[in-house]
Amino acid sequence: MTFRDEVASWLAEHLTGRFAPLVGTGGPGREHENVELRREWEKELATGRWIGIAWPREVGGRGCSIEEQVVFYEEYAKAGGPARINHLGEQLAGPTIIAFGTQEQKDRFLPGILAGTELWCQGYSEPNAGSDLAGVRTKASLVDGEWHVDGQKTWTSLAHLAHWCFVIARTDPSSSRHKGLSFLLVPMDQPGIEVRPIIQLTGTSEFNEVFFDDAVTASDNVVGEPGDGWKVAMGLLAFERGVSTLGQQVGFTREYADVVELARANGTFERYEAELVDAWASLQVLKHQALRTLNTDQATSNGVEANVNKLLWAPWHKKLGELAMKVSGSAAMLTDGELTPLQNLFLFTRSDTIYGGSSEIQRNVIAERLWKLPRDTWTAT
Amino acid sequence: MTEIDDLRSAVRDFLTDNAPVRSNLEDNPSTWKRLSSEMGLTSLPVEDAPLSWLAAVIEETGRVLLRQPYLPTVVAATALKAAGDEQHLAGLADGSLTAALALDGDLTQVPHGLEAGIVLVAKGDELWVCEETAVEPLETLDLTRPAARIQVSAGRHVGSALHARDLEHISYAAESVGAAQRVLELVVEHLLVRTQFGRPLGSFQALRHKVADLTVLLEAARSSTWYAAGEPEDFAVAAPLARALASEAFVTVTGEAIQLFGGIGFTWEHDAHLFFKRAWTTALATDSKALKKLAFDRSGA
Repeated sequence: MTFRDEVASWLAEHLTGRFAPLVGTGGPGREHENVELRREWEKELATGRWIGIAWPREVGGRGCSIEEQVVFYEEYAKAGGPARINHLGEQLAGPTIIAFGTQEQKDRFLPGILAGTELWCQGYSEPNAGSDLAGVRTKASLVDGEWHVDGQKTWTSLAHLAHWCFVIARTDPSSSRHKGLSFLLVPMDQPGIEVRPIIQLTGTSEFNEVFFDDAVTASDNVVGEPGDGWKVAMGLLAFERGVSTLGQQVGFTREYADVVELARANGTFERYEAELVDAWASLQVLKHQALRTLNTDQATSNGVEANVNKLLWAPWHKKLGELAMKVSGSAAMLTDGELTPLQNLFLFTRSDTIYGGSSEIQRNVIAERLWKLPRDTWTAT
Repeated sequence: MTEIDDLRSAVRDFLTDNAPVRSNLEDNPSTWKRLSSEMGLTSLPVEDAPLSWLAAVIEETGRVLLRQPYLPTVVAATALKAAGDEQHLAGLADGSLTAALALDGDLTQVPHGLEAGIVLVAKGDELWVCEETAVEPLETLDLTRPAARIQVSAGRHVGSALHARDLEHISYAAESVGAAQRVLELVVEHLLVRTQFGRPLGSFQALRHKVADLTVLLEAARSSTWYAAGEPEDFAVAAPLARALASEAFVTVTGEAIQLFGGIGFTWEHDAHLFFKRAWTTALATDSKALKKLAFDRSGA
């Protein structure tokens, strides 16, 4: 049996019965959907050893090649697998601990992620540290063998469900910018942490504000050396090869197909043909760009593949949302109490060009990293 | 470094030395001779080199706006080989024979039609190999790609023109990507050197972001071009799509380049207009909207 068959048949056998309602649910803008059942689904995936497929075998992963990962994401998306409730654990916390953590940390934290029982959230952004992440003010100090954390994080996806949060905090009070930060692992269930949901312009919520008021975590819950937090946090980006974007694209393809289907059904295809064809063309480009990125190694990398990817898909997705509204016509003016999937696409995609590095930041990175253009000279003193 | 990267850099060195942009304002037969017999670049199709290698070489020819008929000659050789027609292959491979393409059936303005040994002509969707019987040189907007009005012999039917057209599409895509890349490099060099208000132009965000946007456009076109050049299963979809995207990117990059160069970019001495004219004439030879629609229809989306 090929790997593809193995994935497809496992999904066919398990994404059914009580998990059937999960097909096509969750994901950016839809994280509020089927939350409890998706937590169960994460444990179900664990029984098939489908969590951490990219992780090395010695830590309990499958050690899948890039090709196999691509196959997994394709089949998962084809089967309509729901958005993973613990992607921050599997994609960020786990790989960081594998790369920079101690053996004790690996033994403590990886099994919970692999079993789908311990969920994670990411404590990076703050009210005054968005695009400028190095401006974090959340601070932590070591007192009597414990880190005491004070400050506020925001835009924290799934914080209300998470058991653990990886937090970038300033542990050297005299430091500034990228120095003096540490990468801490903080348990969420404690009196010192308060989670408040942020209601988005979609009317739903998947992000939170997280308040740390003398929250504590054990002294050995720091990944890397204290003060190396920036290096640890950024080191992760080097692991991101964009494999998961192929899965994301299967989702895009489905959304695009829905828009075209609607246009054919309601007679607007001809009126919007040029835009629909353009959107299709750009969708092919996303695939071509992702495949090229996957085939690029350190030696041939231009260093900005991820930035180019983001500047391709985010505006494209936003435009698809707008096109969906045009194709819907006046029907899109009514909601029936809840947003339709296309209305949700339209509204949520406004965030695509903001989160994960805004389009403006991506452009700066391309200008500086690829072309070595000088930075804007105005800096705060 | 892989073989294709080695090939790319060897060709770049050769063309930079032997066929810099300005030299392509005039014909230079010795360049063709060296490119074919010394470098062996015209024999790639006959030697079964992958299409991606050809595309890589053509990309390099785009960087210098090569005047010589490399693109039509290797497209013709590849198409004839695919059609199992061997009569002209040896001549096309050693460079003694050059080709022109009239795959839209139009003989009134054929690029590189001036001294073509053979012409691939499409009659409807049939591919014919013809010889020139009359040639009238034309004055062209693009000063680096000659063209002619021609008449041809009855010729010989060798197969379907569809694949030949897709080969032409991917080749023009590669040429456009290579040329656009070069222009963007020149723009960045300028932005790093030129100062105004006491700072390099490249430190102004309006210009930095413009460069980034052009980069994204170009990288997208490059990704699609390289994808198609890998001869994937959906080559017939990917090739016209790549040409459409590369054409549009080339036009946009060269147009914005003149703006980014400022006054100097408006002068005859500067190379910007040579790239700009190549971009527009390459784009005008087809209709990128129609190419996208063709790809869309072929994909069954």
